[in-house]
Amino acid sequence: MVKKRCVAMLLAGGQGSRLNSLTKQLAKPAVPFGGKYRIIDFTLSNCSNSGIDTVGILTQYQPLLLHSYIGIGSAWDLDRRNGGVTVLPPYSESSGVKWYEGTAHAIYQNMNYIEQYDPEYVLILSGDHIYKMNYAKMLDYHIAKNADVTISVIEVPWAEASRFGIMNTDKEMRIVEFEEKPSAPKNNLASMGIYIFNWSVLKEYLQIDNENPSSSHDFGKDVIPLLLKEKKRLMAYPFKGYWKDVGTVKSLWEANMDLLDPECELNLFDQSWKIYSVNPNQPPQYISPDAIVINSLVNEGCIIEGTIDHSVVFQGVYVQKGAIVRDCVIMPDVVIGENAYIERAIVPSELEIPPGIVIRPSAFDDEIFLVTQEWLQAQSSEIVEKG
Amino acid sequence: MNKTMLGVIDDTRYMESLYELTLHRSIAAIPFAGRYRLIDFVLSNMVNSGMQSIAIFPKYHYRSLMDHLGSGKNWDLSRKRDGLFFFPSSDLNIPAHHLGAFQHFEQHIDYFLRSKQKYALICNSYTVCNIDYEAVLKRHIDNQCDITEIRHQGRSLGMFVLETSLLLDLIANRIHTGYNSIIDVVHDHLHQLKICDYEHYGYVAVIDSIESYFRHSLELLNPTIWNQLFVKSRPIYTKVKDAPPTKYTENAVVKNSIVANGCMIEGHVENSIIFRAVKIEKGTVVKNSIIMQKSHIGEQCELNSVIVDKDVKVENGVKIVGSEQHPFVVRKGTVQGELMNQ
Repeated sequence: MVKKRCVAMLLAGGQGSRLNSLTKQLAKPAVPFGGKYRIIDFTLSNCSNSGIDTVGILTQYQPLLLHSYIGIGSAWDLDRRNGGVTVLPPYSESSGVKWYEGTAHAIYQNMNYIEQYDPEYVLILSGDHIYKMNYAKMLDYHIAKNADVTISVIEVPWAEASRFGIMNTDKEMRIVEFEEKPSAPKNNLASMGIYIFNWSVLKEYLQIDNENPSSSHDFGKDVIPLLLKEKKRLMAYPFKGYWKDVGTVKSLWEANMDLLDPECELNLFDQSWKIYSVNPNQPPQYISPDAIVINSLVNEGCIIEGTIDHSVVFQGVYVQKGAIVRDCVIMPDVVIGENAYIERAIVPSELEIPPGIVIRPSAFDDEIFLVTQEWLQAQSSEIVEKG
Repeated sequence: MNKTMLGVIDDTRYMESLYELTLHRSIAAIPFAGRYRLIDFVLSNMVNSGMQSIAIFPKYHYRSLMDHLGSGKNWDLSRKRDGLFFFPSSDLNIPAHHLGAFQHFEQHIDYFLRSKQKYALICNSYTVCNIDYEAVLKRHIDNQCDITEIRHQGRSLGMFVLETSLLLDLIANRIHTGYNSIIDVVHDHLHQLKICDYEHYGYVAVIDSIESYFRHSLELLNPTIWNQLFVKSRPIYTKVKDAPPTKYTENAVVKNSIVANGCMIEGHVENSIIFRAVKIEKGTVVKNSIIMQKSHIGEQCELNSVIVDKDVKVENGVKIVGSEQHPFVVRKGTVQGELMNQ
């Protein structure tokens, strides 16, 4: 195996249970985002654009669609003779089957994968976030600061700091303390869940952590606190730019709506940092003589006969005459029936919204309504009962 | 029984009537329908009909065609066995006979000799349709034809099925027979070969002039025609570009138009075909026009019956008007209205 300077390990096994029905059949990194992408596209494109060509992807929860989507990594130019993408699901060994018990344990179980490239650095990523970041710059920082571990951090509003894992740093940006969701935050630098380790340090501490029976084998909860206790050199790398954890229905909706804001820092049209994805290969979109499309992102394969206002519309969606879609995220291959009205909702893939149905936010307060097959069935039986 | 076909796409023709669109590209590489090139249709039809070995014979300006096709991966033709072959003419002085000129094939005769496929399908590169060649072959075999010509409403579509061995004979004996192309054979009646017709009933567009290119492009706005060309079970493949979804701003007004990915629409677009990554700025009205990839139309422009080729920049406040019979063609890579605004 050819030696690699830096190997990336992408944690993509999360369930994302707060996304409710969206993650019933698929892992969170495979959830559709931004009109044509899946969440994991952002991290994989960042790797590709940063020149990191060796990426181990750790999967566990509902992996079928995620595995087939990743394939051999060609969509992100990561199908390489040396390195490239390797999907790493849990496996059985002579002592039995071991599920990934925590983020650190998942990496521990795949130390052989990393070892074969004999790297100097290991980049740990999660497939849950929407952002554009040049990991090569973070690696330069890690080397310049002579760090054992570098953790990427972002400034969050002070009022929200208690929702995050907060890094308390000294003047030099060395991390002196890590507090998970502090009630009285001393700092507003939140961990983005992106770590660069010197491989020798990571290897040593994964071993120690694995032998500790009281550990939950999690980077944030166990490994980082242990490294701090042992006075290792942990540096914070301040990231500036758009970064969003799309862990809830509301935050997923908000991040989609952010793309419609002309001032949004996350620019999908930037040719120098393209976000790659598996292209669906559909014909262009057709906008009919009666259609109105404003303030929206619309992907190929759509037929728009109704009104789309301030919405994100994925490939293959059919919006029929008289239908109005406002402040919505419409996932692939959805049909919106004639004269339907939908506002502030997420419609998951392949659902058929019957003609004339009304989904208004007032009935659901400030929340974003996640349409489900069950809800649609209940509506149609109600109509039958009333009729 | 061996029922497989070789695909032969003849892109050796030059047409004066397509001059402005073929300045930088061969006919096969003319952009069409918002995100495709003409060759995508014949190539996808062949792939969708189960054909695995396809040879393209280009002659003029094939750089953009090669760039478009690459290894053939987007058509699933990057294979260890068979796949996509590219056979440029090594002699540009070969007289431009009809389609399917045997002299071009003879230069690459090894391809035909080495291939195991019993049948061959010869097609031109400028006929746009969605057709199942397997059905054509079945009819060809059932009726024991020597050559089957595919036609549409009395017009030849420049598509022929024959046995590879017959094609080899025709190529080898062309000096004796005087047949220089497959068309010569089909049009002659002094031979013993059984020539059959196969009628294709779906939509067909033959692109052989600027006027027909313009007319057939805008025809796609008719959903009945669109649905005949873009069938879910028989998709048309093309080079993928990783463009984001198209963005419509608050001032966008789009009516009866086909829009590809990666565009930024801020103006008024009506009855038009907009290719990938086109930008149309505020206050601009585009009607009955075709705007190709990466072109940028500035503010307060007025375009009617115009074909804007790739990478064109139209400065603010420019008015360009053509007509249905004579659409105005803005050539690739040019800047319009540069002098006007000085």
